[in-house]
Formats: sequence, structure tokens, C-alpha cells
Amino acid sequence: MPTNFKVPIFDVKNLSYEINGVNILSNISLEIFNAQYIAIIGPNGGGKTTLVRMLLGLDKASSGEIRIFGKKLKDFKDWYKIGYVPQRASHVDANFPGTVLDIVSMGRTSQKGFFAKTTEEDKEAVDSAMQKMDIVDLKNKMIGTLSGGQRQRVVCARALASKPEVLILDEPNTGVDAISQNRFYSLLKELNKVQKITIVFITHDVGVIADDIARLFTVNQKLTTCNNPKQALSCKEMSELYGIDAHLLHNHKHGH
Amino acid sequence: MGINVLEIFEYEFMQRAFLAGMIIAVLASVSGTFIVLRRYSMISETLAHSALVGVAVGIVAGYNPLWMAVIVAIISAWIIEYLRGHFSLYSDAILAIMLSGSLAIAVIIVSLGGAFNNSLFSYLFGSILSVSKEDVITIFVFGSLALGVLLLYAKELYFIAYDEEVAQVSGIKIKFLNFLLVTVVAIIIALSIRVVGSLLIGALMVIPTISALQFKLGFFKTSILSLVFAIISVACGMIFSYYFSLPSGATIVLSVLSIFILSLAVSKK
Repeated sequence: MPTNFKVPIFDVKNLSYEINGVNILSNISLEIFNAQYIAIIGPNGGGKTTLVRMLLGLDKASSGEIRIFGKKLKDFKDWYKIGYVPQRASHVDANFPGTVLDIVSMGRTSQKGFFAKTTEEDKEAVDSAMQKMDIVDLKNKMIGTLSGGQRQRVVCARALASKPEVLILDEPNTGVDAISQNRFYSLLKELNKVQKITIVFITHDVGVIADDIARLFTVNQKLTTCNNPKQALSCKEMSELYGIDAHLLHNHKHGH
Repeated sequence: MGINVLEIFEYEFMQRAFLAGMIIAVLASVSGTFIVLRRYSMISETLAHSALVGVAVGIVAGYNPLWMAVIVAIISAWIIEYLRGHFSLYSDAILAIMLSGSLAIAVIIVSLGGAFNNSLFSYLFGSILSVSKEDVITIFVFGSLALGVLLLYAKELYFIAYDEEVAQVSGIKIKFLNFLLVTVVAIIIALSIRVVGSLLIGALMVIPTISALQFKLGFFKTSILSLVFAIISVACGMIFSYYFSLPSGATIVLSVLSIFILSLAVSKK
């Protein structure tokens, strides 16, 4: 069921986060609506990851309010609606005893009751997630034997297996080669355009996906929202202000 | 030797020891899989030493040492989880502190009670002679409960072992399950010290899984292989213990170590 357009998926008001007296994030307010593709950029240590971790309830805000699907964070229970792909996604322990199927099936775990058997619906969801990420042929391979790019897609398929409405990715592409990355980006684009999945993507590569994204958030202690990402990226002041690597702009120019 | 092996089952004490040993093999390997994958292998050593405090209290005060071991091990497991969650201490340091602290307390209790004797020795290194009927019943009842809980939450525990934060975000109750896992492990360890001994039970929890991991199989196959290794080790260990009059914990651990070395050799090819 498509979520009501009026209620934002994430509704954040005056969010601040400080640790040992140091302000990491101050006064962040934002709204993320259904089926949007949002990229988050900003310098290292600027608070991108912290912001996302607070949205997911992994870090507690010092002040401010987060609502998810209209509910306060602490009252929100439907976590299967949110798929999370963390930063270290492609660094799986090489010895971890799990096939691709084992890992993707984890995406169904939280919706199980006690002693619940794997249902047809579970199987269907896992198969469809593997298809979307194009890893069906890797099904029985051990996760530790895969390349970085393949693991990235496996981890993403795990997040998709719970049939989420939002996918949150925190720079999942470290250590992944350029060809695999581009393939991954087109898969994300398809998820957003065809499946109408909301995507929140922390990335260093925003130049490459500039055409796909609807909005751009720049996080460096404060948040700047930009509804015309392409324009913002070609703006020199923006890169100076936030210390974004010059190659972002460079990539963008080369892409067009 | 075939006939001799059957002969050992003519003795009732061996039947009891074998029954207890098999239950423990199943419990130790299943719980060990989760402990190893969570990089938490040392908790088994620590809880085994904590269980000794219970044994000491039991011996000195005249309560059932096995029951006391279960209770003290659970309390210790909860203290460890609490410290891990509420103070910024290193996990391995907490385990080291609890390990030596427990042993110190156990030694003082035993010394004050004047109970340094063979009975204590059997709790340290395991003994097939000392498994009573009451012990078998205790091991069976608590063991079934512990196994039930592990199987009930196997999928969740596997997910947490893979990535705790991602599991949390997907709605799994991490805190509850972490407490549950250490509680179950505490029970299993306390039950095992009769047969394997508190100084040696850690090996039976960890080594079967480590050996099975060498074959790089999926989760289910790895668990089954680990189970098979544990059962073979306990069976072989008990037979050697019987024939050479050695503490069963030591012979079991040497058996499981042999399996580990073989696994390394075979999987290297």
C-alpha cells in the first residue's frame, strides 16, 4: 500500500546531537516524503552518519523530535518498512557461515513469530529481492567468497527482503570497483522509479547520480536542503562552504 | 576393542555419564555456534569460573552444587551484560575481571569451608564417576529448556551474530536476546561442569564450531557439523576416560582438539 502522501516518512524537527559538549548536529529539521530519492553529502565528520543513525534509533538525539510514518520514534514499531544498509556493508567477515540465501533470508526474520515456518510469502519476498539486486545466480555461494560489489548487492537484497518502503544506505560502496558501483546506482534508480521505494543515500559520489536524485541534503553540523541538486552541485560556493571534495563537481561535469 | 566399548555400558554410572555427556555435547555446540560468531568465546571461560563459586557454596553449605552453579552463573552472566551495556569498559576486560574475581571468591569459600578435596577436583576437570541420577535429571530438564530457547530464537540470534545494529534496526529486540543468550549459556556451562569440568568446558563450546567453520558451509550445515564434532568428541573422551582412568574433561578436550587439527588439515587442501 502506498503511504499517504500527506504524512512524511521522516519528519524531523529541531534535532541536535552533542557528545562530550561538542555539537555534532544542531537544529536539524527535515521532511522526507514517499518515493523520493534523496542524497546526503557532506564532509567527513560533518554528521551525515550520525543523522541517519538517529533516524534509525541507533543514536539518541540530545534534543528535538523524530517522527517516522507519523509516529514518534519510540512508538514506531513497523521497522520492516525501513531497510538499512550500513557503512561497513561490504566488509563481511570472510569466515561467516552464510550463503547468499542465508543472508538475504535474514531480511524476513523480524516479521516471524515463534516457531514460525518459512512461508511462501517469505520465499517470494527473498526471491524477488535477489532478482531486484541481480544475485539469483549467487544464491548458494558463501558470502565470504564474493567480491565487494557482489556483497554490496547481497546486503541490499537483505534490506529489500522485508519489502521496505524506505531504503537507507550509508556509503555502502567503499572498496567496490567503479563498474560495480555504476551497476549498483542503476539498480537503485530502478528501485526508486519502478518500485517507488524511497531512497536515502549517503554518498561521496553524488555527481554520478545527480540525474537520479530528487533532493540533496548537505550536512555539516547544520543541514541545507536543496530541491534542485544539479544546480547546487555546479555551484562553486556550495563546495567551498561545505568542503565537499572537488571531484564531486568534476564527476558531474564529466558525466554530461 | 569393539566388544570392550560395548562393555562399558554395562555399568550404570557409565550409562548416566554417557546420557549426560550427549545432552551436554548438543547444548555446548549449539550455544557455542552463536557465542563464537558473536566473537564472545571468552564468556564461556568466565561463566565456568563463576559457576565454581556456586559449586563452592554448594559443597561448603551442603546444597546441590549443580543447582548453585546454575544460579551463580546466571547472576554472573547478567552482571557481565549489565557492565557491557552501562559502562564504557572493554568487553574482554570485563570478562577477565569477572573470571579472576570469581575464581578468587570460589577459592576463599572452599578454603574457609575446608573443602579442598577430590569432590572439588571433579568439578574442575570433570568426572564420569560422579554423575548421579539426580544430576542427569537436572541436566535433562534445564538442558531441554535451554535448547528450546536457543531453537526458538535461532534465526534472530543468527541475524544478531551477523550484524547487531542492522538486526536492531529491523526490529529485533537486541537487549532482550543478548540477555537471553548469556543466560542460556550460563545454564549450559553450569550443567556441563559435572562431566567436562569448569576449567575445560570452554573448549567444548568453542572448538566444535571453530572446526566446523573451517569447511566454509552455510549456517545450517555448519551448525550440524559442529554438533557432530561435539558428540564424537564427548563419546571418544568418555571412552578414553574410562579405559585410562583419566578426568573426562581432559580426554574430551583432547578429542575435540584432534578434530580441530584434522579439520584444519583437511580444509587447507
